[in-house]
Amino acid sequence: MRESSITGRVTRSGISRRRVLAGAGAAAIGALGNVRFAAAAKVAPITIVINQSPWFESFRKTVELYEKETGNKVELDVNPFAGSLEKQRNSVRAAKGQYDLLIMNGGWFAEMYFGGFVEAISDIDPSFKLDPDVYTLGDTVFFDPVKKVMTPQGKLMSVPIGPLIPLLYYRGDLYKEAGLKAPETFAELEANARKLHKPPGRYGIVQRGARGPATVSFDFYPYLYGNGGGIFKNQAAADYTVTLNNEAGRTALEYYLRLAKEVGHPQTASLDQADVIQNMLTGKAAHISAVIAAWSPMDDPDKSAVVDKVEFAPTPHAAGLTTASGLGHWLGGIARNIPDDRKRGAVEFLRWFQTKDAQIASAKLGGIPVNAAAYRDPISQERKFRWMKPLADSLPHAVNVYQFPEASEVIAILELGLNQAVAGNTAAAPALNSMADQIHGVMAKYGYATGKLPPL
Amino acid sequence: MSSAAPDASAQTLPAANLRRARPKPAGGADVSSGGPDDWLWRWVTFSPALLMMLLLSVLPLVNLFLTSFYNVTWTGGQPTWTPVGVDNYNELVHDELLRAGLFNTLVFAIFAVGGQMLFGFVLALLCCRVTRGRILYRTIFILPILVPGIVVGAIWKLLLNFDFGLVNQLIGLIGFEPMNWLGAKATALASVIFVDVWHWTPFCFLLFLAGLESLPQDVYEAGKIDGATIWQELRYITLPMMLPTIMVTFAFRLVTAFKVFDEVYLLTGGGPGTSTEVLSFTLYQRFFRQDRTGYGASMSMFIIFLVCILLVMALSARKRVSAPA
Repeated sequence: MRESSITGRVTRSGISRRRVLAGAGAAAIGALGNVRFAAAAKVAPITIVINQSPWFESFRKTVELYEKETGNKVELDVNPFAGSLEKQRNSVRAAKGQYDLLIMNGGWFAEMYFGGFVEAISDIDPSFKLDPDVYTLGDTVFFDPVKKVMTPQGKLMSVPIGPLIPLLYYRGDLYKEAGLKAPETFAELEANARKLHKPPGRYGIVQRGARGPATVSFDFYPYLYGNGGGIFKNQAAADYTVTLNNEAGRTALEYYLRLAKEVGHPQTASLDQADVIQNMLTGKAAHISAVIAAWSPMDDPDKSAVVDKVEFAPTPHAAGLTTASGLGHWLGGIARNIPDDRKRGAVEFLRWFQTKDAQIASAKLGGIPVNAAAYRDPISQERKFRWMKPLADSLPHAVNVYQFPEASEVIAILELGLNQAVAGNTAAAPALNSMADQIHGVMAKYGYATGKLPPL
Repeated sequence: MSSAAPDASAQTLPAANLRRARPKPAGGADVSSGGPDDWLWRWVTFSPALLMMLLLSVLPLVNLFLTSFYNVTWTGGQPTWTPVGVDNYNELVHDELLRAGLFNTLVFAIFAVGGQMLFGFVLALLCCRVTRGRILYRTIFILPILVPGIVVGAIWKLLLNFDFGLVNQLIGLIGFEPMNWLGAKATALASVIFVDVWHWTPFCFLLFLAGLESLPQDVYEAGKIDGATIWQELRYITLPMMLPTIMVTFAFRLVTAFKVFDEVYLLTGGGPGTSTEVLSFTLYQRFFRQDRTGYGASMSMFIIFLVCILLVMALSARKRVSAPA
């Protein structure tokens, strides 16, 4: 008897119920004279360009499952973060693209939409419908190419691959000992971090303060948006007035710096994502904020000194507001410059990938589901998947930080300015003023409707 | 007789006169006199190499130069080239990251190359008269340059890690507090320079060793007869005779130091702040990460210009020291 990889249900003949149903369905449709289902089941091989991230292994295994279930072939081209972007640029700008499905990060998918490099899935296959339970992640899967805005009224451009946002990781065992409850507000987080701060053996919180492609800025977004702040006034309405240096921004940065200085790691300014996760895994951090993709090693006895001791919560927020982390998600878009059969092959993969069954299977393999139905499934109650509820609570509030293609220039400004503030080279207010000035300059240079606030 | 005589005379004539001394083939045109056939033949044989050089080096540079006067954007999958005059070059002046990169690159080049030259020369002096185990010590000394840059980054990132690094564990044994070698403003650039010195000193060592071993021994023997001390031998014999080798090594390392990228990218990412920002890293960010093709091209031209100036300075210095007094 063989086990279906997705449902785990088996038939006596050794064929999974899913396949029996699929076969019966195909036969029925075929009998009605519609042969499209059979044709769609077998499609041209496709190549997916993807980055080597903590969640990659789960994606690879999910792709293997797809191949096994459908008989279709998928090749993965795996690269470092920046390398993946370069390869995607090179491929989509050529006359004929090498890659069919582009796994695009929150920092660069806008470049692909605005540049016309990604073809709308609904244009390739008008019958394709996004599963209503799939998170649209700040509507970033849609794009109106005429109005140049991301809106559900636009076309479906991509399907979410990884709904990555940061969650608060905290030491449940220490909380239990100290009689603490999971922090919801910034004040509670700070109080708890102070209680658990026992340097040098353990730090109250370990933050990701290094300068990188999207390092300290990504760590700072939950503090900024959780305080009601933001970088721009209203991107959806094309108002790019820079509001980073308003009172909410100052409160957020001063809080972030205070945590780093008083209850944080002494070298916060040089810590990147790997360092932060390492500090949690080795028991040196009481709290970290990290993308949820890092949950898997926490309970791995070969990698972790805190197995079953780490709990998860939405990132805290100011009293009266809601959690609001920045999206660091991944979207799958189909390249414009590839043959039609490969486009259809990519559509079939996405059609399969977005289903509840595929997403539950992905979660079991270590992935982060993009379909809300997976979060309602009984597996979310299992101890191993204790991160699912806080993630499901957080996702609807996640913020799409950038809705324009020149985001990398703004991110570079934030990375340098925030890093210098964390390193103690500048205070919060001058750092915010300087960053706001530079961001305003970038937006003005590219002709966006922008403005700036008086300096703090 | 007639064929041997010109050869013999050629050996005794200065190079400039060789052409004149060559024989004319019997009954034929003078192949070395620049007649029409000769001129054609020269160009036929030379043009493939010239064409290759133009295609591979000049054309990309010309393309880069022209691109630097445009902004390139993409719409509908197609590029749009917008002429911007010298705007990209004007922006270079106001680019704070570039300014920090230029300053750090100068500091890096001076200290890293200085360190490599000094340690390389001392090591070469110590080893040039060692006769036993030559292969062993040379192999050990050149190991760092055989290590790929990415591995160098991994080795030193682990060694200098604040929490788990071997260096901090070792200094902890003798009672020192752990230091954030790569993450503190005061030590980050120095750490990168140290790693570069570790990586490239063997290169200088090899060149210096080859130079020292080729020096004429009779001069040293004469010095010994005159009663020269080791210091005087070094000061008045070794250093003056080694000066051309030193200058070539210096020029080569200086240009290479200006192109430093991998160590900064792997160890510090240019931080903290702009403490370890270097020119190549700034260019990488502007050109590749931010995809600013036109501006990146202007920055590339600026860096090429700087390296050319350095090269000219180094070569003219070499000429001066090589010229007979």
